[in-house]
Amino acid sequence: MTYTWRRKLADWMTAYLFIFPVLLGWGIFVVVALVMSLYFSFTSFNLLKPPEWIGPVNYLRVLRHSDFLRYAVPNTLKYSAVVVPVQTVLSLIFAFALDQKIRFRDFFRTAFYLPSVTSSVVIGIIFVWLFSPKGVINQLLGLDVNWLYNVQTALPTIMLVNIWSTTGTMMLIFLAGLQDIPSELYEAASIDGANRMQMLRYITIPMLRPVIFFVVTLGIIGTFQVFDQIYIMTKGGPLKATTTIVYLIYFWAFGDVTPDMGRASAAAFILALAIFAVTMVQRRFLEREEG
Amino acid sequence: MRGSKVWFPVVSVLLVLTIVTAACATPTPQVIKETVVVTKEVEKVVTREVQKVITREVEKVVTKEVEKVVTKEVEKPRTEVRLSGWTASPEEENLLRALLYECSLQNPDILVKYEPIPSDYWAKIKTMVGSGTEPDIYYMDIFQFPFFATQGVLRPIDDLMAAEGVSRDEFLDTLINAFTWEGQTYGIPKDFNTLALFYNKDLFDQAGVAYPTNDWTWDDLKAAAQQITEATGVAGFSVPPDPGRFPIFVFQNGGQIMNEDFTDTLLDAPEAVEAGEFYTGARAEGWAIIPQDVGVGWQGEAFGKGDVAMVLEGGWMVPYLSNQFPDRNYGAVHPPAGPKGEGNLVFTVAYVVSKNSQNPEAAFKTIACLTSEESQTKVLTSGFALPSRKALQDHEYLQNNPVSNAIFTGAEFATPFMWGLKGETVNQAMAQALERVYLEGVSVADSFKQAAEEIRAALQE
Repeated sequence: MTYTWRRKLADWMTAYLFIFPVLLGWGIFVVVALVMSLYFSFTSFNLLKPPEWIGPVNYLRVLRHSDFLRYAVPNTLKYSAVVVPVQTVLSLIFAFALDQKIRFRDFFRTAFYLPSVTSSVVIGIIFVWLFSPKGVINQLLGLDVNWLYNVQTALPTIMLVNIWSTTGTMMLIFLAGLQDIPSELYEAASIDGANRMQMLRYITIPMLRPVIFFVVTLGIIGTFQVFDQIYIMTKGGPLKATTTIVYLIYFWAFGDVTPDMGRASAAAFILALAIFAVTMVQRRFLEREEG
Repeated sequence: MRGSKVWFPVVSVLLVLTIVTAACATPTPQVIKETVVVTKEVEKVVTREVQKVITREVEKVVTKEVEKVVTKEVEKPRTEVRLSGWTASPEEENLLRALLYECSLQNPDILVKYEPIPSDYWAKIKTMVGSGTEPDIYYMDIFQFPFFATQGVLRPIDDLMAAEGVSRDEFLDTLINAFTWEGQTYGIPKDFNTLALFYNKDLFDQAGVAYPTNDWTWDDLKAAAQQITEATGVAGFSVPPDPGRFPIFVFQNGGQIMNEDFTDTLLDAPEAVEAGEFYTGARAEGWAIIPQDVGVGWQGEAFGKGDVAMVLEGGWMVPYLSNQFPDRNYGAVHPPAGPKGEGNLVFTVAYVVSKNSQNPEAAFKTIACLTSEESQTKVLTSGFALPSRKALQDHEYLQNNPVSNAIFTGAEFATPFMWGLKGETVNQAMAQALERVYLEGVSVADSFKQAAEEIRAALQE
């Protein structure tokens, strides 16, 4: 009895010893940070003076703020509604194409993936040049549009940049998913006389469902948190046309002369809850379809 | 037996300690031997060879051993102070390092640890102050000063100034007053900038228009810009939606951006709206552009490229133009006066002492050295920034550099670039007020009213 108990304890100790380094880092930089910002979201806190408890006031202020309601939320939703479907479909098409035995397959796989490993700051700067009024895009199209300094085109331009840079990652995930589908299924289907479109409709897509869920979830989380390209390319302008939720959080936390960490933290928690809720709904939706 | 084993290490440690402390004790004069060069003879040896005369010089060194009595000085522990600032350019950083070196010779008992912050300076410094890890001395921009002053995290320096014999009168009034809050001085301005009207001489010559002068008014600006636009096809002037440029037109029209105590905005007052109508009207009437019209984000670049004849910019243009556009032939004068006279903005940075500093005296000594007349002369002649000291106003560098002189003397009519505790909200509201006019054709009065309302909402939170 005591022997097995001791043995169990020793096993536990060993296991925890091994995961301790990661646990420590995660504990400090995730758990403690999370709890602290949850606390800050209920306080008035400008970084210099100790936080002062004010209850849920910050949440009400965020939810009533005109910048949040009129710009940040609609812009973020528009952004997500365009970027997620487009990048999912595009990357799925690329993955199908590059799953076939075509010439220069490895070259294309690398080329499509390349933007994903490039720094978003560098991508932002390059696209600022490409989309400048005298830039390559205007010269190719023969237009004279100031893409990033126009209320109508600024946000779509940033959507385009994001689609271009993340499609590669999604393609890679789909490729891995496609290679996981057992070839027997296709063999069996071909014996039954199914054509390629039928195989795609009845084998590939259903088998890829968990991967699609993963890619869409990743896409929603990523687009809800879009920040770096906006910070580099437009700073939320012109006329707040590209002000998104995270950009607004950044402005409240560090943009103004007086930091408002309380309100920034509250907005961050509202965003986290929104992402959680959307992911849950989406999961229900995909599961029901399966059942 | 056991006892002796325990005692041995204890005794040996004590022994070592005694030896070490003995070595560190008061210095005793030492007699050392040194070899000294007494004479150095140079002998010319002339040799005749078959066809050449070769002259060789041979050095003969005569040495002698002398005995010297030397007292070895015990190194005094130096007081350490930390200094942080942002880095605008490698050249400016090197200049600061050079000044710090000079100061280390002047104050040998102070060790300054320079810790530059290359990016996100304000986020970093505010976080450091919040956690009590800020440096003893740091850069303070006038725009951010009200927040730090009202939070009581800076040390008032009037007593330290008195102890070092530094007087407020030595600095330009606009600057030292800007860093004064509730009757106490909090920072020594290190340098400053104002706006000047930079003009492209070639475009003026081409259009046959006389160069601007310090006595220009809005009407002169408009007339010249219109003539240049007609004659050369290049826009005469630039009116960016920039909260660091537009306000001077409000000042020149007798208005203000904020009220005295920064609790309300005056952006929807008639003076400001009229100024806005003149400013945005310049583009509508076709004699001015915004930088985005010519495909750049900053009018300084448009000016360098020759896409606009006149811009209101600061002293940073001088190194920028000489690096990027060395062929640009330009001059600079005071901004034109408006209906209510002259007006300008002053951008200034000071050295401040943290309230948490353990060595405020040493910190201030360092500041005093960095802002001394000698140091400021070096800053001035390097061409990076303008000195904050009155004594340098007649310096020959300013007489030989009319552009720098225009920027320096501009301080006389200037208001600090500072809009209170929500300064960046004010800046954004102002920029968007102008953008709404430019991009959406909203009337100036409506647009400025909306901006004022946004600012008031933020101030009331």
